[in-house]
Amino acid sequence: MSDWEPKIVAFLCNWCSYGAADLAGVSRMEYPPNIRVIRIPCTGRMSPKFFLAALREGADGVWVSG
Amino acid sequence: MGIEPGRLQFSWVSSAESTKFVEVVNAVTAAVKALGPNNNFVKTLPKVA
Amino acid sequence: MGLTKRKAAYVEYAQAVPLKYCISADECIYLQKGKCGACKKLCPTGAVDFDQHAETETLQVGSVVLAPGFAPFDPSRFDNYQYANLPNVVTSMEFERVLSASGPTQGHITRFSKDKREPQKIAWLQCVGSRDLNKCDNSYCSSVCCMYAIKEAVIAKEHLGDNLDCAVFFMDIRTHGKEFERFYDSAREKHAVRFIRSRVHSVTPAGEDDLEVRYVTENGDVQTELFDMIVLSVGLETSPQVIDLARRLNIELTDGKFCTTSTFHPVAASREGIFVCGAFQGPKDIPQAVIDSSAAAAAAGEMLSAARDTLTQTREVVPETNITNERPRIGVFVCRCGINIAGVVDVAAVRDYAATLPYVEYATDNLYSCSQDTQETITQIIQQKKLNRVVVAACTPKTHEPLFQETLINAGLNKYLFEMANIRNQDSWVHKNNPALATKKAQDLVRMAVSKVVLMESLKEAELDINPTALVVGGGISGMAAAKSLARQGYETHLVEKTEHLGGQARNLFRTAKGEDIRAKLDQLIDAIQNEPKIHVHLNATLTGVDGFVGNFKATLASNGSEEIVEHGVAIMATGASPLVPDEYCYGQDPRILTSLELDRKFMAADPLLKKLNTAVFIQCVGSREPHRPYCSRVCCTHAVDNALQLKRLNPGMNVFVLYRDIRTYGERELTYKEAREAGVIFIRFALDSKPQVRIEDGRLLINVTDHIIGRLVELEADLLILATAIIPNRDEKLANFFKIPLNEDGFFVERHAKLGPSEFATDGVFLCGLAHYPKPIDEAIAQGQAAASRAVTLLARKTIFTSGTIAETNPVLCSRCGICVSICPYSAPSFREEGPFAGRAQINPVLCKGCGLCVASCRSGAIHLKGFDNDQVFAQIFTLDEAV
Repeated sequence: MSDWEPKIVAFLCNWCSYGAADLAGVSRMEYPPNIRVIRIPCTGRMSPKFFLAALREGADGVWVSG
Repeated sequence: MGIEPGRLQFSWVSSAESTKFVEVVNAVTAAVKALGPNNNFVKTLPKVA
Repeated sequence: MGLTKRKAAYVEYAQAVPLKYCISADECIYLQKGKCGACKKLCPTGAVDFDQHAETETLQVGSVVLAPGFAPFDPSRFDNYQYANLPNVVTSMEFERVLSASGPTQGHITRFSKDKREPQKIAWLQCVGSRDLNKCDNSYCSSVCCMYAIKEAVIAKEHLGDNLDCAVFFMDIRTHGKEFERFYDSAREKHAVRFIRSRVHSVTPAGEDDLEVRYVTENGDVQTELFDMIVLSVGLETSPQVIDLARRLNIELTDGKFCTTSTFHPVAASREGIFVCGAFQGPKDIPQAVIDSSAAAAAAGEMLSAARDTLTQTREVVPETNITNERPRIGVFVCRCGINIAGVVDVAAVRDYAATLPYVEYATDNLYSCSQDTQETITQIIQQKKLNRVVVAACTPKTHEPLFQETLINAGLNKYLFEMANIRNQDSWVHKNNPALATKKAQDLVRMAVSKVVLMESLKEAELDINPTALVVGGGISGMAAAKSLARQGYETHLVEKTEHLGGQARNLFRTAKGEDIRAKLDQLIDAIQNEPKIHVHLNATLTGVDGFVGNFKATLASNGSEEIVEHGVAIMATGASPLVPDEYCYGQDPRILTSLELDRKFMAADPLLKKLNTAVFIQCVGSREPHRPYCSRVCCTHAVDNALQLKRLNPGMNVFVLYRDIRTYGERELTYKEAREAGVIFIRFALDSKPQVRIEDGRLLINVTDHIIGRLVELEADLLILATAIIPNRDEKLANFFKIPLNEDGFFVERHAKLGPSEFATDGVFLCGLAHYPKPIDEAIAQGQAAASRAVTLLARKTIFTSGTIAETNPVLCSRCGICVSICPYSAPSFREEGPFAGRAQINPVLCKGCGLCVASCRSGAIHLKGFDNDQVFAQIFTLDEAV
C-alpha cells in the first residue's frame, strides 16, 4: 500500500487558486504530482455532478478551491 | 452514498497565496492518501466472458 | 534591497511583466572586464546582446505626466536607533520583503543576525524620518506608515502565531483611509497588537543580538523593554534625482520637496502641461496614488483631446474560417520553454503521445512557443494542415492565452477553438525532482486539453456601440470635476443635482488649509460648468429608474414634476455625503455650541463675535471612530486645526483648545498642525472611554476633560464650542439598486478594488468619486472626479465594446421558470422573457454576464450552458483523467 499514490482532481477557480498554482510554479515550490487541475471560471461553476463523475472515473479525491 | 467525506475537499486560496496553495495540496494529498484508493464508486466495466 | 545576493543575469521579480531576464551591467564580468560571455554562448535563442547601449531619444509630446515616486527614508544617520550597527534593527521596507513569499526568506520571518532564529518580540517605531524637524528635515507626515506598520504586525502574527508579541510605538495613529480604522481596531482587539504612545528615545544592544528600547511614557516615566527585532517605520521622501528633475523642468516644489499643486487643480504642476501623480504629489497610499494617476491621465487627455485617434494604426483582419460540421483536426504544440519545461518533462515523449490522441492531426514541439517566429510558424501550420482546433502545452493561460488566441485569429480561426495545457507553472516548475511523474502528468494534461478542445465551438463576441454620453449623479465638487473633465475631452455630459444649486458641501466651507478661498474657486467652477456647451445641468432632479447596461443606459429623471429620459453610455456616482447632526455635547441647547461647518459660516460672514472670544474649544471625533460608526472622517482634524489657527490669527490673545483622540493631519497638513502649536493652540488628548463632559451652568458653558499629560481633570469655560462632526454618506439604496452597485455597512459605495480600482465599480460602465466613496478633502474629491472621468473615457473612447464569448446561455425549451438563476446571479444577467413563445422563461443578457457559471450549476433543468466551460467540456476533461478507466 505504501507506494500507492492517489489521483486527485482539482477544480480551481481561474481568478484565485489557479493563479496561486501558477505563482507556486513561478516561485519554484514543490508539491506532490498527484493533482490534475481543471480550470473553472469560478467555484460557482462547480456542480456535484462533476464531483461524482470524477470519482466514477477513478479519481481518489476531488479538491475544489476558490 | 458510500463516499468518505475526506474525498471531497474545499479550500479558499487567493491568487497571491502560493505558499498556502502548496500547503493545501500537501494536506489534500495526505488526507486522500490516508483514505486509500477509491473503490466504492468507481465505474466497473462488465466483465466480458 | 541588498538583502540577498543575485546573479548578474536576473529577473527583476517573480511577477515582472515581461517575465524576462536582464543583465546588470555593473556586475557583469563581460561588460566590466571583457571576459566570460558564458550567457551569450549558452543562450539557445541568441537573445543576449552585449552591444546594447543607453540612447537618448527626443520625443514630441503635448503634455507630460510625472510619476517618479518616492525614496524610503534612510535611517542610517540616526545614531540613537543604530540601524547601521545592529543587524536586527531593520527598515519597514526590508521587513516587507521578509514577509513576502517572493522575498529572500520565502516569507519566513527570521532575524537578520547570524542566529537567523524566529523572533518572539518585534517592535515598530513610527515616524522615522517623518514629523521630525530636529534630526531630519522632514516635518511632514508620510501618511502611510501607521497603516503599513499595523498591517506588518498583523501579518507577522499570522505567520508566527499568536505567541509573537508585536508592539507599535507611535505618536498619533493615523488610520484615516477607507476601512483602515476597522483594521486598527481588529489589530488591537483581535490580534492583541500592543500600541504604546511614545516616541522612542534610543535603542541599545542587549544580550545575543537583542535590543533594548528606552522610552518615556505619557506620564513621564522612563521605561525600558527588550525586543528581538525592531522595525523602523521609515517615511517617504523625494529623491535628490527627482528634485534635480524638477529643477530642470522648472516646476515648483513645496517645503517638503513634493510637487506644488493647488487644491482645485490637484494634479497640475506649476508649469502648464505638466501633471503629477503618486507620492511626488505628496506622500500617499496606493488607492490615492491610483486616483491621482487616473486624474493626471484625464488632465493630460483634456489638453490632447483634439489629437485623439490621430496616431492610431489599424490592423488587418484575417477573415474567420467557418468550421461548422468539420471533423475536428487538432494541432498540438508542446513548448520546451528553453529548459524550463524540457529540463524536467520529456517533451518529445509528450509530443509523440499527443500525436496518438483522437482527432490530433499534427503534433510538434517548439523551443519557445511564444516567440515571434514560432507564432508565425504556428499560423502557417494551421493554414497548411487545415487545423480547426489548437492545443498549446506550455505555460499558463492566465498570461499567454491571449497571445495564442491572437495567433489563431491571424490564422483565420475563431479564438475560442483553443485550449492550453499548463505543463510549466503547474508541472515542470513544481515537480523538478520527479521527471518521470512530471512527464506522465504533462501527458495527462495534454489528453484532457485535447478532449476538451474537440468540443469547443466558434464563439461570437457581440459588438455593442457605446453611446458617447455620460451621466453624472451629484452636482457637488467631485461630480462637477468629473463632468468638466468629460466635457473637455469631448463627451456630452448630463449633470444631475437633487437640490436647486450646484456646489454640494463645498458651499459650506470657508477656506482650505492651504489658505485658498473656497467660495471664489467654487463659483469659478460652477461658471465653467454652466458655460460649457457639452454639459447639461439638471437641477432639482432625481433618478427614478435606470434601464440598460454598459454603453446603453436609459435613465429616467424626475425634475419639477415632469419626467425625462436620458440615454447614456456610462454613469458616475458622485452622490456625496452630509454632516452628522450631533446628539451629544449639549448640541442644540446653546447658540455657543456649533458644528465645524457652522463655524465656517461665521467665518464667511465675517461675524464680529469671533474676534471677541476669550476661549474657544474644539472637540474632535464627534460621531466618528465610535463603535456604531467605526470610521475616521479624515478631514476634521485638519479642518479644526486650521480653524483654530484662524481664530488665533483674528485674536492672538484668545485661548484655543483642541480636544482630540489622535491628530490626523496627514501629509503636509502636518505643517498646519505644527503652526497651530507654535501659535499657542493647546491640544488635549482624551480617550474614547473618558470623553469630555459639557454642561451649561448659570449661563456658563463648561467643559471637563482629563489632561493626559498632568493626568488631572481640567475644567474649561468656553465662549464657543465647536464640534467636529462625522461625515455621513447619503446612503442611496435606490441608486445602488438601479446600477447594481454595492454599499458597505457604513453606507459608502464599494469600489471595484480597494487599492487598484478605487474610482470604478465591478459593474461595467459605472464609476465613483467624492464623498460617496469615503470622506475626503476638496483636492482629493476633485482628483477622484477627474479619475472617474478618466476611467469612463477608457470606455467611451473605444466607441464599441465586445462582450466575452465565454458566457452563459439558456435553452428556453428546457427552462422550468423556477427563477433560481434570476435570483442567484450576482450581476443580474438572467431575467424572464417578457414576450414571444417562451415568455416567462429565463434569458441571459450577454453584456451583463461575467461567465462565472453560478447559474449553470444552480439550474435544475440543465437549461443553461456556459460556453467554453460547458458540462460536456468539463466532463470530457474528467472522463479522460485516466486512460485506464
